[in-house]
Amino acid sequence: MAGLARLMVVGFIVLTVIYVCLSLYSRAVRKEKLREEWYEGAQEQPLEAFVEEGLVEYDKSLRRKLILSVYVIPVILVSVIVYLTNFA
Amino acid sequence: MFALIRWTFWITVWVLIAAFFHYTLPQTDIVRVTDTYESRENPTNYTLFWAAADVDAAGNELPRDVFFIQTRRAQGDVMVYRNEDTGWGWPPYFKFDTSNLQAEASDLRSSAAEPRFVAIRHYGWRNEFMSIFPNAVSVWRVDGPDAPKGIPWLNIIVLTLFAALIYGIWVRWRRFRMARIDPTMEAIEDDLADATGAVTGWFGSWRKKS
Repeated sequence: MAGLARLMVVGFIVLTVIYVCLSLYSRAVRKEKLREEWYEGAQEQPLEAFVEEGLVEYDKSLRRKLILSVYVIPVILVSVIVYLTNFA
Repeated sequence: MFALIRWTFWITVWVLIAAFFHYTLPQTDIVRVTDTYESRENPTNYTLFWAAADVDAAGNELPRDVFFIQTRRAQGDVMVYRNEDTGWGWPPYFKFDTSNLQAEASDLRSSAAEPRFVAIRHYGWRNEFMSIFPNAVSVWRVDGPDAPKGIPWLNIIVLTLFAALIYGIWVRWRRFRMARIDPTMEAIEDDLADATGAVTGWFGSWRKKS
């Protein structure tokens, strides 16, 4: 079971790096889109407040939570391979 | 000269990548199992091509019993497979059912007079000089020596994803080079040409004097 522990530790580190990069990237993309939206819109609020509001909304959104599938998909994949190799 | 180095480098890289996939991805052989055996192994030279061994307190690898499956392939040559757990390590087959697989393989033994053909999925290479064996992953009964091996979906998916990844990197690298590196290199070349022109000009004027 030392092998399993090693796989989990290494996997967790690698996936965390991917998760953090993806989160930052996705947030930056959203920020840029909000800015564009503000420039094209009626500009009733100041830019900063508009973007801030949009990002708070984004933090609550499903899209952001979907990034957690970075952790979920490999676990499912490994489970499926374990089943197919040993029990199918 | 530079082109030669570049070609050598890239051919080496691609041969290594191809070898990696050829070793790691599963392949299927149609064989007749002739016998199975167990042998005490302590591979010290090419441990990369064996499952990770248990180590003692000092870090030395301990000898262990390894299952083998002797076969004659449908093409006529012989092939010996090892049968080892990959466990949670590399390559990611997550194989734990070595003993069960050995039992199945033993059950499927047959003689040349009354052949029973089986498909054996495996990864790895057989090399007589290095004494390495492909690792069997699963066996199943098939109708005859010409039985279909099935479409290698896993290999198709893995190689397609890999090609997509490489293409993505290549496109981004090319765009980056065109946007950033090429203009800079051209500017340097222009500067260098100007400077060279100026220096030769100066030398020229200096020479003309004498």
